[in-house]
Amino acid sequence: MPPAHPVHHLEDVMGTIVTIDVYAAAEVTGSGLDVLHGQLARAQAVLHHADEVFSTWRPDSPVSRLRRGEISLAQAPAEVAEVLEACAAARELSHGWFDPWAMPGGVDPTGYVKGWAAQQALVAFSDAAFSDAAFSGAAVSGAIVNAAGDIASFGGLGNAQPFRVGIADPAAPRRLAAIIELTGAIATSGTYERGNHLIDPHSGQATSGAASASVTGPDLGLADALATALAVAGQPGLALIEALDGYEALVIGFDGGKRWTKGFPLVELSRI
Amino acid sequence: MKRTPIVLGGTLAGLIGVLLFRTTPSHTSFTTLPGAASVSGTATTPASAASAAPAKKASSKKTSSKKTSGKQAAGATPTATASGNLASSTRSATGPEVNYNWGVLSVKVTVSGKKITNVAIAMLDDGGNPRSQMIDQQSIPILEQETMQAQSASIQSVSGASYTSAGFVQSLQSALQTLGV
Repeated sequence: MPPAHPVHHLEDVMGTIVTIDVYAAAEVTGSGLDVLHGQLARAQAVLHHADEVFSTWRPDSPVSRLRRGEISLAQAPAEVAEVLEACAAARELSHGWFDPWAMPGGVDPTGYVKGWAAQQALVAFSDAAFSDAAFSGAAVSGAIVNAAGDIASFGGLGNAQPFRVGIADPAAPRRLAAIIELTGAIATSGTYERGNHLIDPHSGQATSGAASASVTGPDLGLADALATALAVAGQPGLALIEALDGYEALVIGFDGGKRWTKGFPLVELSRI
Repeated sequence: MKRTPIVLGGTLAGLIGVLLFRTTPSHTSFTTLPGAASVSGTATTPASAASAAPAKKASSKKTSSKKTSGKQAAGATPTATASGNLASSTRSATGPEVNYNWGVLSVKVTVSGKKITNVAIAMLDDGGNPRSQMIDQQSIPILEQETMQAQSASIQSVSGASYTSAGFVQSLQSALQTLGV
């Protein structure tokens, strides 16, 4: 029997589509489905809240007001300080290759927020509700929140197989460049859809050091920031990721050549 | 208004996977503009089937389950005269113009038998504001991603492909219903 897939949802939020998928060992019915829908509603609310607080496109969002100097950090919602603190840590870990404070127009945590919000949304499916009696007959085996190609997950398929995730080929977006077995999160940054939108924090100029950079790890917020950093730094940046516990990376050059850290969870082509 | 031709091929199974949302309430809703669908092709479906069904579908929320989608699709299925050649004929249909977050778009789909051979943006009007243009530039990859997933049944998700609005899917769904697939 194929693994059950009780939730496949698309949410229009943060200027993109976020897909939410939940897998289970068996079909989820009745009150189990009610629990899942409650969790889904919470995940949706988390995403929309993050959009309202952090959007740099909404002139009235707290982050927009902060950027214009209309409010202080202390006057902004508490999660803004939390995110900026995490951004500062990511800046440190990436040796300055990820730097929201070096963006034109003032501090811009967008490179962290999308992943952070998806990771927060995933929590809705992984909390105590899983031990609810409603799930006794149909245990949820895992969930995936994919925010425009940046993915937070836990668990795997209901048949005890891990999730497999494709990495889009930067040279041909309809094709896959690689497939990995996913544990936790993966973020990919590069020139896929938006052209050359990355800024080198060291020079302030638009730049790109790789066609695509993917980072896996336990937290999607940090993985997102590190993928952004690596797409700017290019292949030499792999050493930075190699030195980080729990995080692995793959860089695809403009010539299509791939380099990855030792632990990057590539699935060998012969196994597909 | 600008036109953005976007071409992709894929299995029908993959697209149906996209279109059958298995769950749930959404914050998004879509509005159909007057004028709805148009149809062209070598085995054109009757105009009556083309104009009626998509308008109804596009104004509903994207919450349909497998069952209800099946029923709606059945309601929009062309008559037997058109379906007699379905296995081999090339047909295309343009979905209704759908409001999305940043403007209006419609999608044209071409099928050969049961295989989708082409999907394109038939019309896209984003009002010219920079925000919508940035989103438009992300182009159609929602479909591309789901198509990739369908082509490789062994993966659950794709990293690195970003999406355009769900409005694309909405218009596409109507176009497919018009074609009875």
